[in-house]
Amino acid sequence: MIALGVAACGSSSDSSGSATASSGGGPITGAGSTFVAPLMSKWQADYASKTGDTVTYGAIGSGGGIEQITARTVDFGASDAPMTQDQLNACKGCVQMPWSLGAVVPAYNLSGAPNNIHLTGPVLADMFLGKITTWNDPEITKLNPGVNLPSTKITPVYRSDGSGDTYAFTDYLSAVSSEFKSQVGVGTEVKFPTGTGASGSDGVAAAVSKTDGAVGYLTIAYVNSNGFDYALEQNAAGNYPKATIPAINAAAATAKSVPPLGVSIVDPPASAANAWPDSTFTYVILPTSSDKADALKAFVNYAIGPGQSFAESLGYGTLPKQVIADDKTALNKVGG
Amino acid sequence: MTTDAATAPSSLLSGQGRGLVDRFGDRALYLITLLAAILSGVILGGITYEVFKLAGSAISKFGLGFLTTSNWDPVHEQFGAAQFIYGTAVSSFGALLIATPLSIAIALFLTELAPRRSRTPIAVLVELLAGVPSVILGLWGILVLGPFLNDTVEPALHAALGWIPLFGGTYSPVGLFPAMVILTIMTVPIVSSLTREVFATVPPSAKEGALALGGTRWDMMTTTVLPYSRPGIIAAVMLGLWRAVGEAIAVTQVIGGAPGIHANIFIPAQTMASQIAAQYQGASPLNQSALGYLAVVLLILSLVFNGVARLLVRGVQRRAKVS
Repeated sequence: MIALGVAACGSSSDSSGSATASSGGGPITGAGSTFVAPLMSKWQADYASKTGDTVTYGAIGSGGGIEQITARTVDFGASDAPMTQDQLNACKGCVQMPWSLGAVVPAYNLSGAPNNIHLTGPVLADMFLGKITTWNDPEITKLNPGVNLPSTKITPVYRSDGSGDTYAFTDYLSAVSSEFKSQVGVGTEVKFPTGTGASGSDGVAAAVSKTDGAVGYLTIAYVNSNGFDYALEQNAAGNYPKATIPAINAAAATAKSVPPLGVSIVDPPASAANAWPDSTFTYVILPTSSDKADALKAFVNYAIGPGQSFAESLGYGTLPKQVIADDKTALNKVGG
Repeated sequence: MTTDAATAPSSLLSGQGRGLVDRFGDRALYLITLLAAILSGVILGGITYEVFKLAGSAISKFGLGFLTTSNWDPVHEQFGAAQFIYGTAVSSFGALLIATPLSIAIALFLTELAPRRSRTPIAVLVELLAGVPSVILGLWGILVLGPFLNDTVEPALHAALGWIPLFGGTYSPVGLFPAMVILTIMTVPIVSSLTREVFATVPPSAKEGALALGGTRWDMMTTTVLPYSRPGIIAAVMLGLWRAVGEAIAVTQVIGGAPGIHANIFIPAQTMASQIAAQYQGASPLNQSALGYLAVVLLILSLVFNGVARLLVRGVQRRAKVS
């Protein structure tokens, strides 16, 4: 918890603004998702320079974000997993809307193997269920003709702390494997039957990089900046796209509307031929009644508008038009 | 006594008026310090109350069975603590198994064997080890210690002692063993400095007697210093154990956070403290309550450890006064 506290301090640029309350513009405070934190720090700096208003953000984790906005100790929350109906009821008058999106990829460390080997969702699920235990298992080799895979033992690495990455990854594996769905299920914290846990993206990265044969899940931005190998997942169209921004956006484009409980874009239909199959939205949570309603609306309008221009360089997708339109409708429910 | 000695010169210089101020100052000091003392009691009580309140729904749902089952499945809302109790027990007892002889050796060296001039610098160095922030030890554990143990120490231990299930043939850079080593590094400064103080209470006459009877230094240490200090050493070890049981951050970083009870100490496990640290933020209400239940177990354990250690220390102190 100390480590989380330090991380939170590191990413919130200024806490002086939270004390003063003013209607219309003015400083606001939020907390939650670590996934959105790198983009948020760009937004904070840019928004402050354009409007002079401070946005204070604590990257305390998605679960913490939901808790803080439910208790109204912050002005907005942020979560990678959309709130469930129960959580939404507990939040008493909250709306959630996607404000960014990204991809989770299976990063691996396998000496003697090339980058971007091919996997299907069900095979990946079996690796994390402990049913496929070596890298040269026929289920894997038949997806990679011409690639000589070593007999190294597979060591699945997962997040031992609550994480939006875990949510996106288990959401995807549950969509493609009924056995994974019934045995493990979807959540920010789940029980993996095998493998090694690690705390934080840094912990997963360290465990993967230090263990030959390890496979863990990380966001594509993290994988790119650390130079890890990652496996290409077969999408519904049978293709193996790289987890590029267009591939994430192609998955997002399949979201035709945003219902109140959020929208999942994992395993998109075959019509999205080049979509990355494990893409996910991340959400901002706003109270429908707030004395900072105007400031909140102004900031979210910025984030889903001009703020999207920073997404691509940081490895996030850009929100599709229909999602932005639904977000604006949802924003109208926020009032004083 | 000490306050009288400190105020005497100033009241001599400034006469009666100053004495009145001093009396008021003493009273204020008394009240402030009393308040601080009461506050710490209130905080302890408040924490205990909150932890039990948080744990309430898990205690009523799972009862004592929580302590003996080992399924921790947040999605299906099943919680059992046995694997974390196992992880805590093995990692901290294992750490103390390594740390205790090491600490006794350090303390003996510093009190009986080391040249007088080198004692203080070495003691300071050992105690500085206690000042390394645990998150830094944990990072070092992930990046340096874990891979080293995985590549070198664990295969060697397996080759020599592989017939014991504890030293099974599967290796991992994160797991119980790296956690033990990190906890050893964290507890040695505590145990060795306490042990050193205990050794200092051994009456010189007893030691001189042993030497006068023709004993070697080794005889002197085994016949007088160690037997005389036994309760104090046990107390020091209990306090070290208490430290090891409660450590969360560094252990979270190196233990691997994997559920399950395995005899093999080379593979990942999880402790109570690191489970709380890792999962609390993102947990559902029942999951949080189950983590609160873990905290209750930890709290009770630490009160027991601390209480027993305190009783033992009191015994040593009383004896030190007599001699």
